[in-house]
Amino acid sequence: MTRYSLVILILSILFTSCEDPIDVDVPTAQSRLVIEASLDWEKGTVGNEQTIMLSRSTPYFETQQNTAVTGAMVTVTNSNTGEVFPFTDQNDGTYTTTNFVPLLNHTYHLEVVYNNETYQATETLMSVSNINTITQSTEGGFDDELLELNLYFDDPANVENFYLIKYDVVGDLFPYLEDVSDEFTDGNEIHDFFEKDDDEDGEETPFQAGDVVHVSLYGISEPYYNFMRLLIEQYGSQGDPFSSNAAQLRGNCTNLTNPEHYAFGYFRVTQVAKATYTFQ
Amino acid sequence: MKHVQIIFFLFVGLFCQAQEKFSISGTIKDLNNGETLLGATVYLKDTSFGTITNEYGFFSLTAPKGTYTLVISYVGYGAYSQNLTLDKDQNIDIELNPSSTALDEVVITAEEPEMANIRKPQMSVSKLNAKTIKEMPAVLGEVDVVKSIQLLPGVTNNGEGSAGFHVRGGAADQNLVLLDEAIIYNTSHFFGFFSVFNADAIKNINLYKGDIPAKYGGRVSSVLDVRQKDGNSKAFQLNGGVGLISSRLAAEAPLFNDKGSFLVAGRASYAHLFMPLIEDVKDDKISFYDLNLKTNYTLNQNNRLYLSGYFGRDVFNLSKIIENNYGNATGNLRWNHVFNDKLFSNLSLIYSKYDYQILLDFIELDWTADITNFNLKYDLGYYVNNNLTLDFGISGLTYNVNPGEVKPASETSAINALKLDEKRAFEGAAYASAEHEISNKLTLNYGLRYSVFSRLGGQNMTHYANNQPVVYNSDLAIYERGEAVGETYFSKSKSIKTFAHLEPRLGLSYQLNQTSSVKASYTKSTQYLHLLSNTSSATPLDVWTPSGEYIKPQISNQVALGYYKKIKDNTFALELETYYKHVDNRIDYIDGSSLIGNNNIETEILNGEARAYGLEVLVRKNKGKFTGWLAYTLSKSEQRALGGNAGGPGINNGDWYNTAYDRTHDVSLTGAYTLNDKWRFSTNFVFQTGRPVTYPNGQYTYEGLSVATYSNRNEDRLPAYHRLDISATFTPKKHESKRWKSEWVFGIYNAYNRKNAASISFNQNRETGLNEATRISIFGIIPSVTYNFKF
Repeated sequence: MTRYSLVILILSILFTSCEDPIDVDVPTAQSRLVIEASLDWEKGTVGNEQTIMLSRSTPYFETQQNTAVTGAMVTVTNSNTGEVFPFTDQNDGTYTTTNFVPLLNHTYHLEVVYNNETYQATETLMSVSNINTITQSTEGGFDDELLELNLYFDDPANVENFYLIKYDVVGDLFPYLEDVSDEFTDGNEIHDFFEKDDDEDGEETPFQAGDVVHVSLYGISEPYYNFMRLLIEQYGSQGDPFSSNAAQLRGNCTNLTNPEHYAFGYFRVTQVAKATYTFQ
Repeated sequence: MKHVQIIFFLFVGLFCQAQEKFSISGTIKDLNNGETLLGATVYLKDTSFGTITNEYGFFSLTAPKGTYTLVISYVGYGAYSQNLTLDKDQNIDIELNPSSTALDEVVITAEEPEMANIRKPQMSVSKLNAKTIKEMPAVLGEVDVVKSIQLLPGVTNNGEGSAGFHVRGGAADQNLVLLDEAIIYNTSHFFGFFSVFNADAIKNINLYKGDIPAKYGGRVSSVLDVRQKDGNSKAFQLNGGVGLISSRLAAEAPLFNDKGSFLVAGRASYAHLFMPLIEDVKDDKISFYDLNLKTNYTLNQNNRLYLSGYFGRDVFNLSKIIENNYGNATGNLRWNHVFNDKLFSNLSLIYSKYDYQILLDFIELDWTADITNFNLKYDLGYYVNNNLTLDFGISGLTYNVNPGEVKPASETSAINALKLDEKRAFEGAAYASAEHEISNKLTLNYGLRYSVFSRLGGQNMTHYANNQPVVYNSDLAIYERGEAVGETYFSKSKSIKTFAHLEPRLGLSYQLNQTSSVKASYTKSTQYLHLLSNTSSATPLDVWTPSGEYIKPQISNQVALGYYKKIKDNTFALELETYYKHVDNRIDYIDGSSLIGNNNIETEILNGEARAYGLEVLVRKNKGKFTGWLAYTLSKSEQRALGGNAGGPGINNGDWYNTAYDRTHDVSLTGAYTLNDKWRFSTNFVFQTGRPVTYPNGQYTYEGLSVATYSNRNEDRLPAYHRLDISATFTPKKHESKRWKSEWVFGIYNAYNRKNAASISFNQNRETGLNEATRISIFGIIPSVTYNFKF
């Protein structure tokens, strides 16, 4: 929850606090392989085209972006049927296939062989509800004067469900991610809103008529929810006094050859409902 | 073995009475307002017969038949003496005259003069009275008990804006904080910027950092015992102050033909009144208030009743997004009974409650949680003879913890109602302790506390596969929640789990010569209640949880050694103490633990341990125009949690790591200078090693975002913290005929405007895509002015 950031915010305003960027010497860990294997089956499509990305981690303040990992062997196997899907190295850090077969509740197994070390992970394809509707409003959200987008979808009753919501605003550098569980809302229509701040330093600007937002609603597994919950929390608020202690994020990709060389990232297999909304 | 020793000493004490002896007992009070004085020294001049008054100002002294000079001394009061012929048991009540009639005279509490201080085995205790606290420069002119004790050696905070305090490397929840014996579960207002103690209502505070007397129990780190004033029993009196953030008013007066008195004190902030004027915060509201009440009634010479209470509340409201309020409420009814001149007793019925509510408007969620306890206790003091004083008593305490209840905040809310299991428990204790003077040079303090804790039913207990609430996933090298395989309902009359512990407390003092002594102590204590918090700072929304099936009680063992020296007729005093403390069963949180709204906390924690050790130096200047102290602490505080039943190496690979409140160096300098009758100046300087934190050690790209990677817990540190505060107090010339007295306090907090990092956050800039570090500093330079008055 981000409420503590808000506490800090209000205290900052009240008292003479200030935020300023500073130079900090941070430690540097050894570089690791990063596996971003997101097999997402968009509702209403065949889901045969899939991409897996391999890269390397860098020092925290490193700005050079070419971290692509090439020359790896990447395969995904459907553990229920035994069908194997080899991924083709595109020599730019991406590995692709055009004949993937997504099947709900089937378990898939990822294997990556790189530098004579074998990485692997297992994940189950989770289904997702349809998006009921997307609306816009001003009176909801954090600020009564700013536009926000409202997303509605039905949560299936009597079963634990976990969701990842991604808002891609056309023209923005980065997506906004939210983790949602039905812990307090089981069986109800779930409402999520997305409002951009009127940020003083211009990092964010509020929505205006004409802004286009791509919305993706993923049905995800509980372990992946736990992973993303932490990732999102740490991305948003790490270091403020009311955030939980920083912790190394461990994904589900292990190294069979040398367990110490585990990979960052995650192997996820999801069903995703997508929609696009243009602000009026 | 220990039991045998205690019995032996008791016998020695009881039967070594050859000469004919008599007792003198009574109560010591302030001449002007009738307040009982606790901790006053009472002794017979040129003899070794002496004692100090207890929490209710009562003393009892026994000496052989003869003629003596009875001397009473207390800091801030003129010495009192009277000749006395001791040929029968007698009772005298004595009133002391305050040494100055100024509103708040400059007093840095020296320990009691002459005999008591150096000879008493009690060590590791810091005493402050309200006057001392009011002297220190404070943030925004608001006088503060908790901020004051942080200037003592061995006591730190966890950064500006954090609740609570840390004693000798212990956690904030390991402090037993008592206001007139009632437990205060959260000491903070404004998320830790102010404490709940209104200095106008406070008589005296004692902080036990170690060598905790046997009458206290239930926390492993320290006891902060705060006592409220009884109320002026001589005349109506009004105290007040007008400050920038808050104002306060206290009224005191005699009641029932001077047989009783009362005190009512209130304090409220009013920043929220100005907030609508500021564009950025016009829809926000942040405020606190509190109310102290105390009244007493003297039935007769041997019976006195006290009723005291506290109610405090914080409210904040962020433009309809979040509404949050929290606070403590306490009440205490006491009956002092003097059986005879040697036996004093007190019976207390105590209530305390802490609760909070949070309304998240944007998801229409209403969340409440609370902890309530009742405590009945009976304490007795038996002044056997001049060499032996016994304290003993019993206590019974019930806890009722409601860790959280969720309700939809409106009919259209998507939130389902949910109530986490209420937790109930009973804590009982019996104790006895003796202060025993073995020879002129050697005094012993030995006691034993027996505590029993029973986690009571009225809830379901979850069972886990292989009895593992937390399981180590060796593939991913992470700890995960265990698999629930069933649950058992325990009825309210059943006990789920019971613990019992013997807690010995030992102390000795050896007087080297007239001006110096050495002391040593050993304390074992048990803590059955834990505050769940996986954030760097404790917050008002943290939840307490009792020990039970999966959470064991914390057990601490502490040893301390001290050297005390008075220099130049007590103009200076030197105190050196060193300690080592080990705490078993300190709970620690697995990476990524989620505590909010969790009914099965055991799936998020491992039972760990903590250790702390350090050296404390305190140099005081007690007399003269310039008074003050220099405190230095060199210390280490670490914790670890092995995998144990869950398997695996443990949290942080099972390695010891710095606690968030580890401070290698901690220096505090406090001084006050009285220029003349009108002007008085005071200053604080504080330097501390930075707080341990975890910095990122790398990054990778995931979902287009730069994701930070982290190394071991708390391996890095924030920059060092330092700050200088100054204040000047102006007392206008007094009109002898008028009762109205006033003073102006001008203060500057953080005089050289140091930007101390409350935290450093690491984020990706959404505009540039670059990672950056941002320092959040809370208080820059803050001038303040406060007007205090007394009528």
